[in-house]
Amino acid sequence: MLEVKHLMKSYDGHKRSLTDVSFTVATGEVAAIIGPSGAGKTTILRSINQLIKDDEGQVLLNELDMRQLNRSQLRQARQNIGMIFQNYNLIEPLTAIENVLHGCLGNKSTLAGIFSLYRQSEKEEALQLLQKVGLGNFAYQQCRHLSGGQKQRVGIARALMQHPKLILCDEPIASLDPKSSTLVMETLRQLAIEEHISVLINLHQVDISRQYADHIIGINGGQVVFDDHAEALTDTAAAQIYRKDLVLNEEAAV
Amino acid sequence: MIKPEKQLTIPTPTAKGPQFKMPVKLKDRRRVTIYLTLLVLAYLTMVTLPTMLPDHLNLKTASLTFLQNIQIMFFHPGLSNTTFVQLIQALLESILLAFLTTLIGSVIAFVLALVSFRQLVPAWVGLAIQSFMALIRAIPNVLWVLIYSVVFGLGANAAVIGLTFHSVAYLTKVYTDSMEELEPDAIETMRAMGLKNGPIIRQALVPNFIPSYLSWTFIRFEINFADAVAVGAAAGAGGIGYQLFMASSFYFNFHEVGVIVYLILVFAILLEIASYHLRKRVMGNQ
Ligand SMILES: Nc1ncnc2c1ncn2[C@@H]1O[C@H](COP(=O)(O)OP(=O)(O)OP(=O)(O)O)[C@@H](O)[C@H]1O
Ligand SMILES: [Mg+2]
Repeated sequence: MLEVKHLMKSYDGHKRSLTDVSFTVATGEVAAIIGPSGAGKTTILRSINQLIKDDEGQVLLNELDMRQLNRSQLRQARQNIGMIFQNYNLIEPLTAIENVLHGCLGNKSTLAGIFSLYRQSEKEEALQLLQKVGLGNFAYQQCRHLSGGQKQRVGIARALMQHPKLILCDEPIASLDPKSSTLVMETLRQLAIEEHISVLINLHQVDISRQYADHIIGINGGQVVFDDHAEALTDTAAAQIYRKDLVLNEEAAV
Repeated sequence: MIKPEKQLTIPTPTAKGPQFKMPVKLKDRRRVTIYLTLLVLAYLTMVTLPTMLPDHLNLKTASLTFLQNIQIMFFHPGLSNTTFVQLIQALLESILLAFLTTLIGSVIAFVLALVSFRQLVPAWVGLAIQSFMALIRAIPNVLWVLIYSVVFGLGANAAVIGLTFHSVAYLTKVYTDSMEELEPDAIETMRAMGLKNGPIIRQALVPNFIPSYLSWTFIRFEINFADAVAVGAAAGAGGIGYQLFMASSFYFNFHEVGVIVYLILVFAILLEIASYHLRKRVMGNQ
């Protein structure tokens, strides 16, 4: 479904933030990327939907190379990719349902986007999605009045409104308490199973990755150092992923 | 968001031996420049002030007349050459002039601000627009009105165009600055969902931008009102400023000047109250 091949990226032209990263994510699979801070997890995720340009390699989404698309093709392709952020990135002054509805603007006309013209069916779907993530009663709340966990679930509903084939999550639970974290992770897991959406999550917690992911990709110093089933991630393997010397090597090379 | 002027490099105490004192503020060339400028200005004032006094001026009688006039203005306001209704009409004229110029100015400025917003267009476009606006701003408002009076003749047309011109330049600058202070994440998120610029502006930028928009536009309205009064006198654009000019420089009627000043004051206070409530309502929604 998603194939990343020989991905390389350098922000400044000298130092490589990613060196030859390759992995695949199957349909309906939950994959977790783990690794120390600065390893390149965010860079990988943002290269997939080409928020980061000027990289090298291939990012194939259903055989379509994201890197070879022109502007309007890229917009089309991005509609198939939902994204969930550590800071939720909602439009805070708007209500929860307005934020969810943004998810369907990608395949509507510019005019509809400017005048917020949504069909009745779209509004109903947005409300259903909010109910699905347990926020039916908060549909008309301004997002700035929601808690972090609630905001993140609005973010998930917004991504689902896109009818995505792939959802990218950059540390979705890093700012949440354990209970909200569990709720968010369970929702993501459920989506993969029920809707056959592939989910790729950057995580910092090894145990949560083991618990919720099918597939774990370990990154250190811009390289894939582990790529296997979740069960294969033993404590020693995890420690290996977070090994300092790889990070140090990278810094020494600067 | 506060951006530090310079990269902070904290010196290590060991680097300079035991008598090293760690500074709390970094030496800043800007502050030195400000102090120097103030010093020079103070010196110039002290030197020139005595030479400006004409020989025949009697400071005592001058101050007395001044106080007398002030007393007439503020304690004995009254009308003789104009009626109250005429003055109210003139005040409304000035308010409308300010309102119209602010409205047109804010619409044009919003478009220009979008066109020079770095998250939407290449940086050089923004730079070009902002430089041009800075050029316009460098010339005072009233001067623009006078320049346009040469083209259109003295009167309301020149006032509207002149005031709008300066409003556009001012508002474009503050709008762009406020837009650039907003979190860039909102726009990037929309871009990641595959939206086009139109919907991105409307859905991600506008909702976050409304509070600063209202607040800056209101401030500009206040400025435009003050300028509309000044321009009424200077460029014959009518309004309360013209009445003020006639009463003070033509009829020398300080009673009437008093009434006019009170009128303007009342309106200024009303404006302040309105802006306070507006701001509270917008903030209350946050
Ligand atoms: N915009 C940028 N400009 C320059 N260098 C960057 C930029 N973003 C990231 N980098 C560098 O690329 C490397 C990888 O960063 P990245 O953000 O992908 O790490 P990460 O694994 O997501 O870390 P974290 O777990 O802390 O979020 C780091 O060395 C970082 O300094
Ligand atoms: Mg990151």
